[in-house]
Amino acid sequence: MPSTNADAAIEAVDLRKSYGSEVALDGVSLSIPSGTVYGFLGPNGAGKTTTMRILTGLSQPTSGSVRICGLDVSDRGKLAPHVGYLPETPPLYDEFSAREQLDYVADLRDIPAETAEARIDDLLDRFGLVGDANKRIGTYSKGMKQKTAFIQSVLHEPDVLFLDEPTSGLDPRAARQIRTSIGDVAASGSTVFLSTHILPVVEAVADEVGVLFDGRVVAEGTPDEVKSRAQTGGEGSLEDAFLAVTSDETRLTGVADE
Amino acid sequence: MSLRRDVRHGLRIGRAEFVRSVRGYASETRRVVGLLLLALVFGGNLLFSLPVVYVAGRRAQSVTEIPLFGLVATAVPVVLTLLATFRTLERIGRVEHESLVLTTVHPRAVVVGLIAAEVGRIGLWFGLPFAVVAATFTAGLGAPSLLVTAVAVVAPLACCTTVWGYAAGVAVLRGFERLPGVRRTLKVVGFVAMAGLVLVSQSFGRSLADGSLPVDTLAATLTFDPLADYLALAFVGTPLARPFSAPAVATLAAIVALTPVGLVVATRQASALWFTDHATGGDRGSAASAKADGSHGGFSTPRPLAATKGGHVAWGLLVRGVRHPQKFTHLVMLVFFLGPLGTTIVQSSADGLGPILAASGAGLGTYLAGATFGLNPIGDDRPQFPLLLLTATAPRTLVRGRVLAGAILGVPVAAALPLATVALGTPPLSAVAFALVGVFMCLAAAAFAVGLGAAYPIYEEREFWGATTVVPSTLVLMAFMFVVGPGTVIGLVATWFGVTGHLAPTPLLAAGLGLYLLLTVGVSYGSYRYAIRRYRTYTFD
Repeated sequence: MPSTNADAAIEAVDLRKSYGSEVALDGVSLSIPSGTVYGFLGPNGAGKTTTMRILTGLSQPTSGSVRICGLDVSDRGKLAPHVGYLPETPPLYDEFSAREQLDYVADLRDIPAETAEARIDDLLDRFGLVGDANKRIGTYSKGMKQKTAFIQSVLHEPDVLFLDEPTSGLDPRAARQIRTSIGDVAASGSTVFLSTHILPVVEAVADEVGVLFDGRVVAEGTPDEVKSRAQTGGEGSLEDAFLAVTSDETRLTGVADE
Repeated sequence: MSLRRDVRHGLRIGRAEFVRSVRGYASETRRVVGLLLLALVFGGNLLFSLPVVYVAGRRAQSVTEIPLFGLVATAVPVVLTLLATFRTLERIGRVEHESLVLTTVHPRAVVVGLIAAEVGRIGLWFGLPFAVVAATFTAGLGAPSLLVTAVAVVAPLACCTTVWGYAAGVAVLRGFERLPGVRRTLKVVGFVAMAGLVLVSQSFGRSLADGSLPVDTLAATLTFDPLADYLALAFVGTPLARPFSAPAVATLAAIVALTPVGLVVATRQASALWFTDHATGGDRGSAASAKADGSHGGFSTPRPLAATKGGHVAWGLLVRGVRHPQKFTHLVMLVFFLGPLGTTIVQSSADGLGPILAASGAGLGTYLAGATFGLNPIGDDRPQFPLLLLTATAPRTLVRGRVLAGAILGVPVAAALPLATVALGTPPLSAVAFALVGVFMCLAAAAFAVGLGAAYPIYEEREFWGATTVVPSTLVLMAFMFVVGPGTVIGLVATWFGVTGHLAPTPLLAAGLGLYLLLTVGVSYGSYRYAIRRYRTYTFD
């Protein structure tokens, strides 16, 4: 278990989450320094989304504690300005245009109108959405929706950005735009918590990687460290490492204890 | 976050949600046409009632002369609270895209926003007719200030009852989350209660009209005087004004005090609901429930359905229906037709009870056979079309399976209920005849329904009592009832006259019967063929 770190952007200690007799998380601890891009990996059903909901305060752990930027996540009023969250399904309203949606979120985030307008214009331009900004979101492609949702999650320049499968189902150009933007967000000093199955994305942008398996963190460290710990022979990819640490043997031997 | 900021955020959310609703209403031409039809029907009724309202305003000399004022004043907060509770259960218990809104603003702001949007929607639907009636009454009374005072008096009461109704609704939803079995039971109880309410309201209306109801005694018993005194404050400055009373002022104070308390309670309840995941709604995961549900073995269709592909399709529909009964919420519309029928049954003599029940059973089976699976076949099947339309199974088999599924549900009801009424005195010949006609009607209704539904598919999912599902268009359902209802009644009445020997065999009768059968079979078969054609030519445009 990592020691408590006052400088950590994300500090989770011994998180447990049960649904009746089903254990979704079993003693997950994380300590992620500010400015880190943290790749959060795990097979389907490992508990990644549950972890993200707990880290964003949207769900309560059965036991354990979470602090984001030193704030207890149960204090949502104080937490809200510090976090941005892009869930797997983009939280957009089909009846709004992208510009209306972003204005709306800026309003709720208390971003001054002029600042909001400038940021929205800049981000729409950067993501190539200016021409479609006044069309209803219901008419958008998946990529356009994902880009709009990404913009709204960074509009208030959060200290910690949670991304759940942000590039899933996108064409290469849109995926690269998102990937580049993740790097930009991190370069500005924000922490990015990135959950994805697309391992090349993690290899490209992540400073640290954590692998969740059966509700436990079974490997953690830099991508190179995880590869070497998984004993993939030195030349293996992150995919090889991922497959190695999420095998059934791992469950029995407990790689994370290293 | 401060209360002021939360209220501001709440009003912003309310505005956004309201705008989304309005855009949703106007998003399709057919919805606009439906709304215009609705406005035409109810607007006409309203216009015809305005002279009466105007005369009532002219003649009113005091509040006590307004018929049942005390009773109505007592009922207003009760109805508003129940309405808010029901709407919370049905629609506003959760906000869409919780993950966005709840990581952005305080839950109190979300509660305020959802309630504000709902008040806006109710104002949109009922505000205009209410304003027209109030303005007409005010014109009759000759006291324009009534419009202002009425709003000033009703608004605090509406806020208070809405907030508490919301809190109650969320509390019920939390109970449902903890005890899913209770949710299912209450849905059945709710349906029965609604049917009972319709029956009682029908009887109440008749009794009120014929003077057999002791209205004065009832009013004296049920009226809560402080509320009546409070609502009478709306008439301040008019000829109907009452002197200020202590109970009226105390009621106002209680309303003002209870509103913020209600908001606190509602916020706590809502926070507990939104941030506790027994949840299966919203955009939360349903891993827990998914793990709880399951089935063993493969898909095995029982005999005799296993003999044909259509039988397999029908069995698939039945299995899915049983596992997701919320798909059938549209069947609730039947309740509104049960009222007059129920009253007739209750008031019928012992001799007539059996045959009326027998005919009702045949009619109910017919309704179920068509309306359960047939009224939105393309909307139902569209998510699976990329699979279904590219298999070796012909479209006619898919449609036939749907007709069969409806018949499997309707035929037993249409046959068994008439036969069972022999115990209530229905002559066996009549019971058998009703059963046979019922079975015939079931097949005709099921075939007719698929074509009607295919002509006007609905693809959008709607949330109803926490379940997201695709339901048929109300227009289609009404059209089905207006065609199948009279058709079935004609057939059953003719059968009754036939078996009781009241129909002499004449050429005119034979021609009429022939035409009836031709229309029933022809329209149903044509509709069935149309559905097959729609399936065969369907494209994702």
